[in-house]
Amino acid sequence: MGRVPGALQQTVDLLHKKLEQLGALKQQGNFSVDCETYHATATASGQPSKLLYVMHNSETPLSCMALFEGGPCLVADANFDVLMIKLKSHFQNAKGHKVECRGWKYRYSDFSIKVGTVTMNSSARGISAEVEYCPCVVPGDCWNLMKEFMQSFLGSNVPELPSVFTVKPEGLFAPSDCIDTMTQYLELFNKLRKLQMPGSNIRV
Amino acid sequence: QPLKYKYDSIYKWTWTYNRSPQVLQLISKKRSLSTAAAVLLRGAEKLSKSVAENMENRRQRDFNSELLRLRSQWKLRKVGDKILGDLSYRSAGSLFPHHGTFEVIKNTDIDLDKKVPEDYCPLNVQIPSDLEGSAYIKVSIQKQAPDIGDLGTISLFRRQPKSKAGAQPWHVKLEAAQNVLLCKEIFAQLSREAVQIKSQIPHIVVKNQIISQPFPGLQLSISLCHSSGEKKSQRAAPEKPKADDHLYVLEHNLHQMIREFHKQQLSSVLMPHPATAPFGHKRLRLAGPQAYTKAQISSVQQGQGLLEKIIKQAKHIFLRSRTARTIDSLASRIEDPQIQAHWSNINDVYESSVKVLITSQGYEQICKSIQLQLNIGVEQIRVVHRDGRVVTLSHQEQELQDFLLSQMSQHQVHAVQQLAKVMGWHVLSFSNHVGLGSIESVGNASAVTVASPNGDYAISVRNGPESGCKVLVQFPRNQSKELQKGDVVLDSKWSHLRGPYREVHWSKMEGRNFVYKMELLMAALTPAP
Repeated sequence: MGRVPGALQQTVDLLHKKLEQLGALKQQGNFSVDCETYHATATASGQPSKLLYVMHNSETPLSCMALFEGGPCLVADANFDVLMIKLKSHFQNAKGHKVECRGWKYRYSDFSIKVGTVTMNSSARGISAEVEYCPCVVPGDCWNLMKEFMQSFLGSNVPELPSVFTVKPEGLFAPSDCIDTMTQYLELFNKLRKLQMPGSNIRV
Repeated sequence: QPLKYKYDSIYKWTWTYNRSPQVLQLISKKRSLSTAAAVLLRGAEKLSKSVAENMENRRQRDFNSELLRLRSQWKLRKVGDKILGDLSYRSAGSLFPHHGTFEVIKNTDIDLDKKVPEDYCPLNVQIPSDLEGSAYIKVSIQKQAPDIGDLGTISLFRRQPKSKAGAQPWHVKLEAAQNVLLCKEIFAQLSREAVQIKSQIPHIVVKNQIISQPFPGLQLSISLCHSSGEKKSQRAAPEKPKADDHLYVLEHNLHQMIREFHKQQLSSVLMPHPATAPFGHKRLRLAGPQAYTKAQISSVQQGQGLLEKIIKQAKHIFLRSRTARTIDSLASRIEDPQIQAHWSNINDVYESSVKVLITSQGYEQICKSIQLQLNIGVEQIRVVHRDGRVVTLSHQEQELQDFLLSQMSQHQVHAVQQLAKVMGWHVLSFSNHVGLGSIESVGNASAVTVASPNGDYAISVRNGPESGCKVLVQFPRNQSKELQKGDVVLDSKWSHLRGPYREVHWSKMEGRNFVYKMELLMAALTPAP
């Protein structure tokens, strides 16, 4: 955490402190989410080249998620990284676009909270907070409860229902469907990438 | 030949010396007879030869058909002029290094002239000498440690399993040998794990015995009992009849687990297999594409060995049987209140449950406040009360006994409370854990005070697990003789106050149990309408 600017570190510490005051328990081990960006090199008929994001989540250690910008996504096993090297001629790794998010896990009865710092090119850009309400799989049904819970430690910075869920017709969030989570992380990373100033961003 | 020669010589002689036509006739007759006899003899010889040939053919055919039958059940291959078979579990996924080869031989040591015995089989099998006889794994739990000199000398033999009617002798022999091989594999696996696994109290492996200590003062012994056929008669004789503490369930589970282990081995290297996927468990292969979480992955990778599992199961079995014994001994020792245990039929290997009801005879309908669900696990017993409270007890027998005793004591007070409702009495106070009076060594005393419907009398009951029950009755002030009518309190309304308490000689009360006595007492103190 040495590179994290003082202001950010203070905010993270404050969040940890607030969570501990609530009675949340620190879990064993930390979590990490990373994202690499690839450019599609060969574009036929002058279409704007699409971006491909390859992401990993420490919660699903054997999986590798690939998300096309605004398009399809896939979940594969860890061998996918090796495959991407073979596909070098089609997808080029955008160096210096690697985003990482690391932090601690907390558990407060049915809620699981992950507070992490987002680093881009080894410089801290912001703070992420992931809140999961484990007993419920319909985000619309438990959103108010989650909002209230988040208010208790985030104050007024509580976001709106993420767009991932609003566009889904049935609005189901299955825990195994890690794509929903990764899409949200990706949105957050993209938002932070555009921001010049480090600040606090919230996702669910 | 000599006969013919003889006749020939006679013929020659007669031809030379007396050439009478009569003689000639005789000679020609004899000659034709001799040729006929020769033809018959040759025929008989041919016939007997063909019978013997037939016999030989049939024997050969029998051998072939037996061999065909053997091949339908066992793996065979031809090496040189020998037929070798495989009785090992290697093709089922076993990694045991024993070759497990048997040889098929033709049974020829039989006299053709004598009658063929009933159980004759033209095919015989030769099994390796170390797989002969019968074997089994003995699992037992003992209270005290045996003499160190006795270790590794266990030799207990069961009677030979009866062979199924109609089964070929070679099949019985091969199955027995296969069983010996499997037992050896189980034992080898267990002893390897016993040496590898580090536990607080190390497992001991001596010769054909593995000793582990699941609970203090208790030992689990797993031994391989292998008897070869001939020695049996010698050793079985001095065997004194001992209580059979063999745990058949655990022996069965050991067999089941080694087969599961085989299956797992087989499935992990199973072809066809995706070219890019890593070797390993089939479900683990899906972990990546299906985005398994950490918890899901660890549930797939159960790396528990045979020994750990069997020790856990043994612990559970022991805990279960001891719980049953504790409840039974309490039930037979204490008649009032009654204790009932309802064991569930369906159990897991690591968990079983029993429902314990504490009731009073004749009052089952009104006094059913104490219903306990005992979930017996591997290390501990979880007690769930009817209202959802959970108490965790350790494996110590005393804990369960003390707990049940305190529950029984509480039951009596609960029963008085329930009875009061039925009888129309009012509950003035109730406490499960009284803070006053002598301290109980087990649990706490509980107390209840109830008042009669018109409020004249009050009964106070205190019941402790150790001190027993104490019943006091409070009389109205105007009935007590001790209290002098003072000059100070003159108003008649003060006489409605209850007076002093007097103890009831509870053992002298009539009635078969506590609640019945209490009902009689309440009835006596309720004024007639």
